[in-house]
Amino acid sequence: MIINGVLIDDTFSEAFSMRATRIVITAINYKWARHAAETMTGFATSVIGCRVEAGIERAMGNHETPDGRPGISVLLFSTDRKTLQKQLETRVGQCVLTCPTTAVFAGMDSEDTIALGKNLRYFGDGYQSSKLIGDKRFWRVPVMDGEFVCEESTGITSAIGGGNLLVFARNISQALLACEAAIDSMSMLPNIILPFPGGGVRSGSKVGSKYPELSASTNHYYCPTLKGQPGNVLDKNIEAVMEIVIDGLSTKDVRLAMKRGIDAICDLGKSQGIEKITGGNYGGKLGQHHFHLREIVND
Amino acid sequence: MTNITTITFNNSTNLRIDMRWVSSAINNACSAEKAKKITIPVGNKTTEIGELFDITGDFSNSDIVLNNASEKFDYIGYQLPISKRLTVEGDCGHYAGAELAGGKLIINGNTSDFSACAMHSGVLEVKGNSGNYTGSAYAGHKKGMSGGTVLVHGSAEDFTGDLMRRGIIMVVGNIGSYCGSRMIAGTITTLGTVGNHAGSGMRRGTLLFSELPSEMNSTFINCGRHNLGYLTLLLHELRTYDSEFKSLHSMRRRVQRYMGDPSVGGLGEILIWIG
Repeated sequence: MIINGVLIDDTFSEAFSMRATRIVITAINYKWARHAAETMTGFATSVIGCRVEAGIERAMGNHETPDGRPGISVLLFSTDRKTLQKQLETRVGQCVLTCPTTAVFAGMDSEDTIALGKNLRYFGDGYQSSKLIGDKRFWRVPVMDGEFVCEESTGITSAIGGGNLLVFARNISQALLACEAAIDSMSMLPNIILPFPGGGVRSGSKVGSKYPELSASTNHYYCPTLKGQPGNVLDKNIEAVMEIVIDGLSTKDVRLAMKRGIDAICDLGKSQGIEKITGGNYGGKLGQHHFHLREIVND
Repeated sequence: MTNITTITFNNSTNLRIDMRWVSSAINNACSAEKAKKITIPVGNKTTEIGELFDITGDFSNSDIVLNNASEKFDYIGYQLPISKRLTVEGDCGHYAGAELAGGKLIINGNTSDFSACAMHSGVLEVKGNSGNYTGSAYAGHKKGMSGGTVLVHGSAEDFTGDLMRRGIIMVVGNIGSYCGSRMIAGTITTLGTVGNHAGSGMRRGTLLFSELPSEMNSTFINCGRHNLGYLTLLLHELRTYDSEFKSLHSMRRRVQRYMGDPSVGGLGEILIWIG
């Protein structure tokens, strides 16, 4: 399958089942809400090293947030509930509680919940107080700019992590151009995040390493400086490969994001140096979710 | 169309009537005929319900209407369970909505003392005035209302929310003295005036008033003026009820805060709207 001169590889992206939650951070203005959101989603690119993958989903208007202030919606993904719980509490405690004027609320209704402010309240040293409003409990923790308001818990849901696209281009600038177009298009969608810096990944990994202590290592099959080495699959005209990783709350969300990304890349076409789009997989043996690129294009 | 059960008092007695039999009829999903056979003590005699009330419909219906009610009816809406709505046409006696358990009790009249006493959850809406000890504990007990919402469109008298533990009491009119006395937690708010000794002996909880009580307890600590973010959350909840509280803008959050009652080591608060 070739679209606008770009080959869509007959393969699939392999993704994994995860657990996810959403929180809403509000503040006196977007600036401070974004400071908190960006800080708490820092160092959250991959569960391999960070234990959690997190990112900003979208900005929220005053009319959308529980306390009527500007807000930022953040999604967090992890491999299991316990890790997600731990990472959420640590990150909210260190990055949101500390940020001036912020408050934090559950962004997801579910019967399955994890603690949000339930344990953070103890920072109040006995001066904290709770309010049960409707069927939700909120904690008020006295801080030096007034009160930090946080909801007691937030919902969690099953989710998908590690959906991906690999873009083959004739040089780095062209690969970046394609990625940026795809990322801009995908970022408009709800229920997904692109957890890596700016949404792009240059260090795609494979499972395992010649060094036994490492669980992942560079994907040498796609490294242009290793062309000609055994296993390397790059043609001689490919000088850069970039990956975009997508975490989403459902298969549908990831598929839609991948389609938007493929469409945006193919819009640039071969004339912009884009040669091929493929998907990263491990032969289908590790991930439970397979996203076949050619099926997605026809969605 | 929803089936409605109607209970109509036939004015056959001037004595007080214990209305807890309604709770029993609901729990047993009684038919009208079966309910009429329930016996209750009235004065020094035992009387069948059928001699006092005309009843139509089964008590399995979710909507129940009590017509021709009077201030001599005690315990109306006692333990009213979730998914049941009891509408009372007329006044109520003592203990209206006592131990309310998730149902909705609407009183198109006034209530006497101890309304919503030891209420657990649900909604008690009083279109008229409410007597003393609204949302409080039974006399001698230590825990008052522990959840749900009480909305009084008129005024509430003294000791509103005494020993209240959780939930919200909204009073459109005025509240008497000793509002929130010995309060353990929860929220009491009014758009009108408040009498003396508000929050006396309160440990936690919030008293949210439009103006200072007529006499503040000297023990309360003035904590200054603040914008409290959680008030927006509270106002969203208050505005869900069809009442004058809808006129409060949900972003109104600036208050004068008093903390107390320190005489009992309390960390409760009296908040007075500013502006």
